[in-house]
Amino acid sequence: MLTVRLAWRNLWRNRRRTVITVAAVALNTAVLIASYGLMDGMVVDTVHNITYLTVGDAQAHAPGYRREHSLYQDLQDPQALLAAADRAGIGAAPRAYGFGLVSSGSKSAGARFWGVVPARELQAFELARQLRQGRFLDEVSLPAGKRPVVLGNKLARSLHATVGSELVAVVQAVDGSLGNELFTVVGVLKTAGEDIDRTAAIIRHDDFAELFVSGGRVHEIAFNARGRLTPEQVVTLLQPAAAGAELLTWKKILPQLADMVQLFDAVIWIFGLIFMLAAALGVVNTLLMSTFERIHEFGVLKALGAGPLRIVRDVAAEAFLLALLSTLIGVAVGVVATVYLQHHGIDLSGLGGDITFGGVAFNPIWRATLTARIVWVPVVSMWLVCVLAALYPAAKAARLNVVRALTHV
Amino acid sequence: MLLLKLAWRSLWRNRRRTIITITAITLALTMAIFFIAFAEGVYAKMIDDAVRMQAGHLTVEHPEYRAAPAIDLTVEASAGLRRRIEALPGVEATKALVVGQGVARAGQGTSGVAVLGVEPEAERRSSPLARKLVAGSYFDRSDAAEVVLGLELARRLGLGSRRQAQKIVDFWWPSLSGFRRQRADWVEDLRPYLAPGRKLVIASNNADGELVEELARVRGVFSTGAVEVDGYLVQLPIDFARRLYGLAPGAANQLGVILGRADDLERIRLRVQKMVGRTSRVWTWKQVLPDLAAYIEVDGGSNMIFQGILFVLVLFVIFNTILMSVLERRREWAVLLAIGTTPGRLRGQIALESALLGLLGCLFGEALGGWLAHLLELHGLDLRTFYPNGLSVSGIAMDPIIHADLTWQLLVVCGLVVFLSTMLVSLYPMGQLRRIRLADVLRG
Amino acid sequence: MKTETMLGTLLVMGLAAGPLAAGSGRDARAILDKVDDLYRSRSSHARMVMRVVTEHWSRELTMEAWTKGKEKSLVRILAPKKEKGMATLKVGNDIWNWLPKVKRVMKVPSSMMSDSWMGSHFTNDDMVKESRMADDYDFQVTFSGERRGKQVVEITCIPKPQAPVEWGQVVVLVEDGSWLPLLMTYYDEDGELARTFTFSAVKKMGGRTIPTEMRIVPANKPGEYTLVRYQDIEFDVELPDDMFSLRRLRR
Repeated sequence: MLTVRLAWRNLWRNRRRTVITVAAVALNTAVLIASYGLMDGMVVDTVHNITYLTVGDAQAHAPGYRREHSLYQDLQDPQALLAAADRAGIGAAPRAYGFGLVSSGSKSAGARFWGVVPARELQAFELARQLRQGRFLDEVSLPAGKRPVVLGNKLARSLHATVGSELVAVVQAVDGSLGNELFTVVGVLKTAGEDIDRTAAIIRHDDFAELFVSGGRVHEIAFNARGRLTPEQVVTLLQPAAAGAELLTWKKILPQLADMVQLFDAVIWIFGLIFMLAAALGVVNTLLMSTFERIHEFGVLKALGAGPLRIVRDVAAEAFLLALLSTLIGVAVGVVATVYLQHHGIDLSGLGGDITFGGVAFNPIWRATLTARIVWVPVVSMWLVCVLAALYPAAKAARLNVVRALTHV
Repeated sequence: MLLLKLAWRSLWRNRRRTIITITAITLALTMAIFFIAFAEGVYAKMIDDAVRMQAGHLTVEHPEYRAAPAIDLTVEASAGLRRRIEALPGVEATKALVVGQGVARAGQGTSGVAVLGVEPEAERRSSPLARKLVAGSYFDRSDAAEVVLGLELARRLGLGSRRQAQKIVDFWWPSLSGFRRQRADWVEDLRPYLAPGRKLVIASNNADGELVEELARVRGVFSTGAVEVDGYLVQLPIDFARRLYGLAPGAANQLGVILGRADDLERIRLRVQKMVGRTSRVWTWKQVLPDLAAYIEVDGGSNMIFQGILFVLVLFVIFNTILMSVLERRREWAVLLAIGTTPGRLRGQIALESALLGLLGCLFGEALGGWLAHLLELHGLDLRTFYPNGLSVSGIAMDPIIHADLTWQLLVVCGLVVFLSTMLVSLYPMGQLRRIRLADVLRG
Repeated sequence: MKTETMLGTLLVMGLAAGPLAAGSGRDARAILDKVDDLYRSRSSHARMVMRVVTEHWSRELTMEAWTKGKEKSLVRILAPKKEKGMATLKVGNDIWNWLPKVKRVMKVPSSMMSDSWMGSHFTNDDMVKESRMADDYDFQVTFSGERRGKQVVEITCIPKPQAPVEWGQVVVLVEDGSWLPLLMTYYDEDGELARTFTFSAVKKMGGRTIPTEMRIVPANKPGEYTLVRYQDIEFDVELPDDMFSLRRLRR
C-alpha cells in the first residue's frame, strides 16, 4: 500500500512528464480502439451486406433444388420450419421460385419469379427496403384485382418498364398449362446483385400460386437471426424441424463469398497487428525516455540505501498506475469515438452509385462496431507495453553503479 | 557548416532517442509504401482480369451499340488503324470482337448462348479464358469452324460421349467406389471433359435478319468459376463468326485497346477517339464496368483511411520523441543560451536536427519499403489457397495472384509527406525555446 | 421444360427429312422425296390434337393451324378452356403469342428460342427454322424386306461433313410400296439414340393418303412423349396474306 501511494506521488512529482506519458498511452489506446472498431465494423458490414439482403444466416431447400431449380423440387413441410423459426424469434421468409417470360409493350425478357410473403420479407430482410423507385408489395397500393410486381433494375431497364408499367407474365405452370397474368410494376429495386438485377420479378405468394398453379409450394426458406445467433447456431436450432430438407449456412451456399470474408478478416487482422506495433512504439518510446531521465534520481535513491529490487518494484508500481490511469482515459475516449462512428460512420460513396462485389450489393457507409474484443485487446497490450517499457531501463538503473547513476546525464 | 556538425553530433549524443525516432519514421514510410503498392497491385489485377475478359481498357464501338447492342452495328477494325493505335505509347495490343447471340444445338440438348468471335492469337495471350481450359485446346486458326465453351454449358448440352465416360469410370471404379456417389453421377460429371471433338450447331439471326446455322466442333472446354460465363458463353474464331453473322472481313462489333498500365486512360482515349473519327465511340473500362470502378473507389477510400490512421499513430511517435527530447534538453539549451548562443542559431540547430532525422528516416524507409514492394512486384503473392472456390468480382472471375504496383510517384509522394510532417512536428520544440526562462531552468 | 428440338413433323414447320443424295438400290431418293413432301404444300389448313406427357403432368391441346409457304403460319388453340383462344403467329423469324385471358400480344424474344413451345417436346426455335436438309445427308438403303409382318425399306442417312446438323445419324423406315414413313430415329454422334418419331393411323385426308398420327419420344426421358393427331387437313387452300398479321392475331 505504501508502495502504491509512493508511486502515485512519484508520478505527480514531475507533472509535465507524467501528463505527456499518460496522454501518449491514452491517445494510442483510444486510436487503437476506434480503429479496431472500424475494422471489425467493416467485416461485420460485409457479412451483413451478404446476409441481410436476401440470403440470411441459413436457408432450407429440398435436396437437389440448388443444382436443378426445378419447380417440382419443393419443401415437404415448410410450415414446420416456419413455426420453429417463429418460436425461436428468428426471421424466416418462405419463397417460391419459377421461370417464365415477362413482356412489356414490344419488349420481352426471361425472368425468375419470386413468390414471397411481403410481411415476412419486410421483417426478416432488407431487400424489401432497397427500392430505387416505388414501393414493395403490400396490400394497400393497388386497386383491387391488380397484381403487383417488383422488378430487378436491369430487367426493368431492358423492358423499358417503370412504376405503373403493365407487364404480361407467361409461364409453364405446374400442371403443364400455360399460365398467363397481367401485373403492374409497383417498384424497381436498387442494385442487389447480378442475379436479382437481371432476372428478379417479385410477386405475392398467392399470385405466384395462381400463375403457376403451384398450390402454395415453397422452394426456399431463408432465415435471418440478425446477429443474435451465429449461422451455425441457426442451423442446429432448426434442424429438428427440417424433415428431410437441406438446411445450410450461407457459407456453404455461397462459398466464394465465405472465402472472401475470411481473407478479408485475415487482412484486417494483419493491419490490426501493425497498428498495435505502431502504438506500442509510441508508448515504449515515451516510457523509455521518461525512465532514463530518472536514472539520476535512482542513483540518489541507491546512494541513500535503496536496494535494486526496491527500485524495480517502485518503477513497476508507477508503470502500473500509469497504465491504469492512461488506459482508463483511453478507453473512455476510444469508446466514445467508436460509438460515434457506429452511429454516423464514414461515408465512402462520393459516387452516388450502388456497387456489387462478388454478386452482392455493397453499402458504402463504413460503420464501426462496438464489441468487447476491440476494447480489451488494446488495453491489455498497452498495459503490457507500459510495464515492460518501464521495467527495462529501471532494471538497468538498478544494476548500475551508484556513481555512474549519479553522474548520468 | 558548423551548425550542421553540431546538429549531427548532438543527434548522436543521445543515441537511443535518435535511433528510436529514425526507426519510427522508417517504419512509417516502409509500411505506407508497401501497403499502397500492394493495394494498387490488387486493383490493377482486378482491372486487368476484368478488362481482358471484355474488349480491353478502351472499347471502340458503333455510337448506338452501347444503348442497343445489335450484330449489324459494327466498327472498322482494319489492320492500318490497329497498327496506328498500337503505336501509341502505353498501348499493349488491340483486339477485335464479334458479339452476338444464338442457340447452340447438340445431340442431347439445346441452349441459348452468348457468342463471342475472337482472334485466337490475341485472346490466347491476353484472355484469362484461354488460360482456364480444362479440356481440349484453344483455337489456332481464325477461320476454323470450332467453338470453345464452358464446362457448365457442355454439361447442359450433354456433350461428351457417354460411352467413353462410362468406360473410364468403369476402369477407375475400384478407386472411386469408396466415395459415396453413384457410378452414373461420375459418368455425367466426366462427360463435359470429353466434349472436345463433338458436333454442335450454332443457329442465329445474321446481320440481315435471316436465320443462319453453322456446324462447328468443340475445340476446348473452359471453367472460370463464374456461372454466367461457364454456362452461356461460346467463343468462336473471329472469321468463323463473321461468316456466321454475315459480316465483312475486318468488321467487328468491338475493337478493344489493351494498355500496359491502367493509368493515362483518358489521355489515350482522346487520342484513339481522334483516330477513329466520328463514326465510332471510344469508351473506357470505367464506363463499361461501372460496378468494378465503383468498388475500387470505395475500397481505395477505406484503404486511404487505414493508411491515415497508421500515419497518425506514427506521427505521434515522432512528436512524442521530439517532445521528450525538448524536455530533456532544456537544461542543455539553457546553458547554451546562457553562454551566448543566439536563439536564432539554436533554432537553426534544432531545425537541422529534425531535418537530419527526417532525411535519415526517409532514406531508410524508401530503401526498405521500396525493396519489399519491388520484391512483391517481381514475385507476386499467390492467394489461391485462400480462395479455393475461385473469386469473382462484379460477375467476372479473377485470378488471385497479386503483384505489387510500385511507381516513382508513390515513392516520391510518400517520402515527401513523411519528411514534411517530421519538419512540421518539430516546430513545437522551436516554440518551446522561447519560453525558457534561463534562471529557472539552470537552477533545476 | 423440354430441351429437345423436334425437326418438323407438324404442319407449322418444314419436315425434317427430305435427305437427298446419291442413294443406291430402291430409288432411295424418290422415297425420301416423298417423305419430305408428305405434308408440304404451298399452303394448308389443319385441325389436330396434341397430347404431351411428361414426368410431372400430361395435357391435351386441340389446335387449328394455317400455313402459307415456309414463312407464315398461324396456330390457334381450341381446347382446353384455359388455353382456348391462344394463338401463335410466325412471320419470317419472328414469333408472337396472343393471350386472350389478359388480352395482350407478346413477342417471343430470341433468347427464349431454345425453350419448348407450349410445353411440348419441340422448341420455339423449331418454329422458325427453315429446315431444308435436302443437301445435308449422304444415305443408302440398309434394309429391304419384311419386319413384323410388313414389307419395309430402311434408309440410313449420315450427315455430310459440313451440314449444320447435330445428329450423327438418322434412320428412316418406310412401308414398301406406299413409301409412307413408319419410323424415324435420330442418333447422336456416339450412336446413342436421341429421339424417335413414330408414324401411324394412315388415312386419306385432303386428297392424300398420309399417316395422321405422329409420336415424338425423347430418348433421355423415356416416360415422356408428344403425340400429334390430325383430325382434318386441306392442302393448297387459298389463304389471304393478311390472315398472318398481328391484327388478325388479336381476334
